[in-house]
Amino acid sequence: MAELLSPDLRGCTYFFLYDGSKVKEEGDATREGICYFYPEETPMDKQELLCGQLAGVARCVSELSSSSVRVLRLRRNKYAIRRKDDFLWALGSSVDVPTISVCELLDQLIDLFCFYNGSVRQSYQRNSREVLAMRWAQYLSHLQAGSSELHHIFSCLKTIDATNVDPLLLLKAALILQACQRCPLVLVGCILFRGRVVSTQMSPNLTMKVMVHESETYNKAHKPNGPSTSSSSGGTVSSITVFLTMSELQYLQSTPVDKGFKFHSTPHKDTIPKKTRLSRTLSDTPSTDSEPSDAGSTHSSQKVSFSPCLSASDNVFSPDPSENTTDLLHPPMQSQCPLSNGKSSHDAEEDESFYHSFHTNGGGMSQIGDSSGLEENSHLNGACGTVFDFRAAECGNEESHDHKVGEDSRRGSGGSAHGCSGATNSHNESPLVPMTLYLHRVKGLVLVLLVEPHFLSDTASMEEVYHSSLAALNGLEAHLRTIIPGPPGVQVPYVFAHFDCTQSTMTFSHFSLLFY
Amino acid sequence: MKCLLIASESAEVLFNWTDPEFQQKIQEQYGASQEEGQRLPAFEDSISTLFAPIIISCITMVDRLGDSYASFTTENNHIYVLHQFDECLYIAVNGDGEEGEDDLRRKIYVMKKMIEVLFGMVTLSSNLLRRELRPQDTEQRARLWKHLQSLLETYSHIRENDQSFLVEAVERLIHPTLCEQCIEFLERRLVQQLNSSIERAGEEVMHAFILVHTKLLAFYSSRNASTLVTSDLLTLIIMAQNMYPSCIDLDDPSPEVGDAKRKAPVPGFFNLGVGTPRGVMAEDSLQTLEVPPPDPSTPRRVFLEVSLKEGLYPMMPHSMYCLPLWPGITLVLLTKIPTSAVAMSVYTYLEAFAKLEKRLREGQEGSAATRGQPTIHDLRSKLDKFIKALGPSDIQLQNVWTEFKTRAFGRGGPGFNRDLIPWCKNMKTQLCGIYRQCFLIDPGPSDVPRHLSPGLQERAQTLVQEKLMDWKDFLLVKSRRNITMVSYPDFPGLIHFICVDRSTGQMIAPSLNITERNTSELGKGPVAQFIKSKVWSLVNTTRRYLQKGYSTVTLRDGDFYFCYFLWFENETGYKLEAVDLPILPDDSPPIGMLSWDYYRKLRRYYSKNHQGEVVKCYELLTVHLGVIPSEIILQHCRQLASKLWEPSRNPLL
Repeated sequence: MAELLSPDLRGCTYFFLYDGSKVKEEGDATREGICYFYPEETPMDKQELLCGQLAGVARCVSELSSSSVRVLRLRRNKYAIRRKDDFLWALGSSVDVPTISVCELLDQLIDLFCFYNGSVRQSYQRNSREVLAMRWAQYLSHLQAGSSELHHIFSCLKTIDATNVDPLLLLKAALILQACQRCPLVLVGCILFRGRVVSTQMSPNLTMKVMVHESETYNKAHKPNGPSTSSSSGGTVSSITVFLTMSELQYLQSTPVDKGFKFHSTPHKDTIPKKTRLSRTLSDTPSTDSEPSDAGSTHSSQKVSFSPCLSASDNVFSPDPSENTTDLLHPPMQSQCPLSNGKSSHDAEEDESFYHSFHTNGGGMSQIGDSSGLEENSHLNGACGTVFDFRAAECGNEESHDHKVGEDSRRGSGGSAHGCSGATNSHNESPLVPMTLYLHRVKGLVLVLLVEPHFLSDTASMEEVYHSSLAALNGLEAHLRTIIPGPPGVQVPYVFAHFDCTQSTMTFSHFSLLFY
Repeated sequence: MKCLLIASESAEVLFNWTDPEFQQKIQEQYGASQEEGQRLPAFEDSISTLFAPIIISCITMVDRLGDSYASFTTENNHIYVLHQFDECLYIAVNGDGEEGEDDLRRKIYVMKKMIEVLFGMVTLSSNLLRRELRPQDTEQRARLWKHLQSLLETYSHIRENDQSFLVEAVERLIHPTLCEQCIEFLERRLVQQLNSSIERAGEEVMHAFILVHTKLLAFYSSRNASTLVTSDLLTLIIMAQNMYPSCIDLDDPSPEVGDAKRKAPVPGFFNLGVGTPRGVMAEDSLQTLEVPPPDPSTPRRVFLEVSLKEGLYPMMPHSMYCLPLWPGITLVLLTKIPTSAVAMSVYTYLEAFAKLEKRLREGQEGSAATRGQPTIHDLRSKLDKFIKALGPSDIQLQNVWTEFKTRAFGRGGPGFNRDLIPWCKNMKTQLCGIYRQCFLIDPGPSDVPRHLSPGLQERAQTLVQEKLMDWKDFLLVKSRRNITMVSYPDFPGLIHFICVDRSTGQMIAPSLNITERNTSELGKGPVAQFIKSKVWSLVNTTRRYLQKGYSTVTLRDGDFYFCYFLWFENETGYKLEAVDLPILPDDSPPIGMLSWDYYRKLRRYYSKNHQGEVVKCYELLTVHLGVIPSEIILQHCRQLASKLWEPSRNPLL
């Protein structure tokens, strides 16, 4: 129903990220500090003017008030400002937009970036500006797109129109999520249908973040020239690494759902150190060849074998030996680091060739697995194989599926590298904790689970989750497909909107009164 | 944590006011950055250094982007509001949460209004105003700034405590008999006697009024005077209050917020003239200046709007005599000065050159640029005569005018085109300079007296004192309890109301005097304070809605039910139909009557569709108990509105 309201008026006029550390000396050009500027076609001198002046004034006011600036208002525009270390974000919008909405939008944008990429400083050290610019643009367009003005003002979630849906279906969706939670490695989950929330266990904030990736994939799949569509293959499983803040993590661990499964959570906590070993194999995908990563964990010999491959593959990412040592000193980090290191080799578009070479080499996974000579590894390879097998059996389209998963893990891996290093860097005031997002797609329907990183290596758990939900998901999808109406009807001037601030959702009902 | 700063385009501080907290913070900040052993720089220098980047950036943004800063907000809720008038940038800061963005914007506009009343048309030339606000002589500067600072403080204080300044309308003492007697007395006895005296030195008393604290007891304007607009009257009340602060707080033993900031009732006369070191410093002055005792007989020059048959003349010079009768009761005389015709001429020429400049800017040339009244040749001959009459005192103006004439009218000259724009500007500056010379600069003690003689002033003072002797104590009490809710027994559940007639700029409201020792029916202490804060915030809320085009607000807040109505009536009191009000942008001037008369614009806007009809505008705010049904509340509002403006209850000005 959201579409009934005017989709415009969000009016983000400018957005930029400015790195003050790049412009210190008198002679430094302002453009050096501009990490990202939207709209990208803005002439450079205007970009420099805005960044330079706003950053300068923000700094001056902060000094005067000994507190950072939140809003800079001009006669025709207003800017929400965020500062962290040397970075300064500014989101400009027209003066009609409520200030609080602009501020919230900017916070969401930054949160989104950190959720998928980890710490900003690290991201910019590891990646080129162009790569990250694409991501900013993607998040920006996601936040601006689709929702109505009211949605935007309250920054609420896009949900399916629950009034049209049989409550039993919603119950079913909730049950699927609960069933998945029986696996102790699954933290929380949500079910989305065509970019809208059907049921969620996550906080609205987290759901919003999770939806970005999903709707991105969904949109891509619906473009004619997009990669082989997931819907055609019936169902796919993919995963990406995401980063949670400590507070988000604490919230998740303290949810009543978790407590209800206390018998799970206690062993689950104990298993973390144990599972670290398992996690070294981690990836559910044959193509990602995450096996090299686990080399970095305990055995120095493996580290050696692993490092050259990294440096060859990723010039942007120079592996820091000290990081690895830190990893060794902090076992909990290990489970994340190897994963990210391994995946980082596939990060970013420039690694395409590397990925392909691995891919075309064929059996890359087993090769490396063999070379590492770990019996654990071979066992896990086997495990991976089984994971793959059951999926192949299900979808019957090994090729496309393989490709898809590989791509997904490459996407996700980008962030993991930075996040990992971000986590190991002690000066980062709010450490981000890498987690994994597990996605199971059935046509328009997606089951998104936030899982412990080593879930992917835990074949038994994965299989359990997969099989326990598959049939239910198929059924749910079939029902929702028939129910959800297509394009909305005529625009009615008066609507009644109900905003649920706990779930951050909005329901509309129209005054049918008008017609009497 | 408050500050107000005026800066020029070259980032020069033209005026600053800070409260002690802000000053301390600035000094701490500077002390931290200062190296050991070095002396702290002067406060003025530190503040200008700290604000310079903001000022420069503001100017850059205007130049290159055509947009300027309106406000900044920080995470600890410090608010900065910026506004540029011509080449003067005003910055108001609040860091203690006591003022919002609207309050700061209002403060900026009020400051500008006070500067206009004090400096008149000199404000039209940024160049001259800059020199006027920041005299070279540090002592003189300190004196001027002190005066402006204390005006600002006085304004802030009465805005926080006085309902009339909250809604920006004049409050009258409701005592019809006494009011009438006083008006008659002012007319028949006082003004007549003053204007027929030979000691008036050519000045003519145009308006006379008696203030009891901030409330008006009686107001009389002579027959040939134009009406005194509300915004000027409110500004004059602030100035009178600043000279003779009513010691409301001082006779109250309870520690009051803002008590410490109030100065003792020291009569302070201040003269803007050059080289006349008269003036009095507030007692908390940092620099101790050796000031001769103030000469209370020297009037203050004020510039007020005058509307005559010939047209509207803003900022015409007047002399203001503030004669204290008793503490809290003041007689104010406004006189027209003998040379005020010069001001009218200057204004006419200024307007003509401004119009010409505007047309030339729009690209019109030749006769197209010079059309309109008065014709350019008319203007030329008049100005020729004017300059001749001024005599050889102003060579500069003569030279510029000659140059202008050769360019505009000369055969070989370029005529009326874009090249003439700088000369238009130059002429305007010269005219402002003449104006400054005539009306701002004190002619010096040697000259013949140019104002009412001290003896005459004294006689006027004694006359009124005699008249009001028996009423004195009554008036002082009455001003605190002008009307009370007890007088409204027909409105059960009504707690408080404010009713404003925006056409005359008058308001009526029950007293909300919380500093008083004896309890009012609202009680004292927290309850009264609570109601007061509710009323203050309600007025802010209604203004925000009014700005967005809403003329009615009803609001339930806890145990209270607030209503606000704005409506129009014709002369006979017939209620006119409501219209859609204009929606103003966020950074438009604050709604009110002190700095910018919103309601005058509103009435003009309304009367567009009601040609030939006198449109009056009223506002009513009520606070009811929340348990009262809304139908009853609406009925109350209707009855109250009709009752309040019954002619018998409220004599006209």
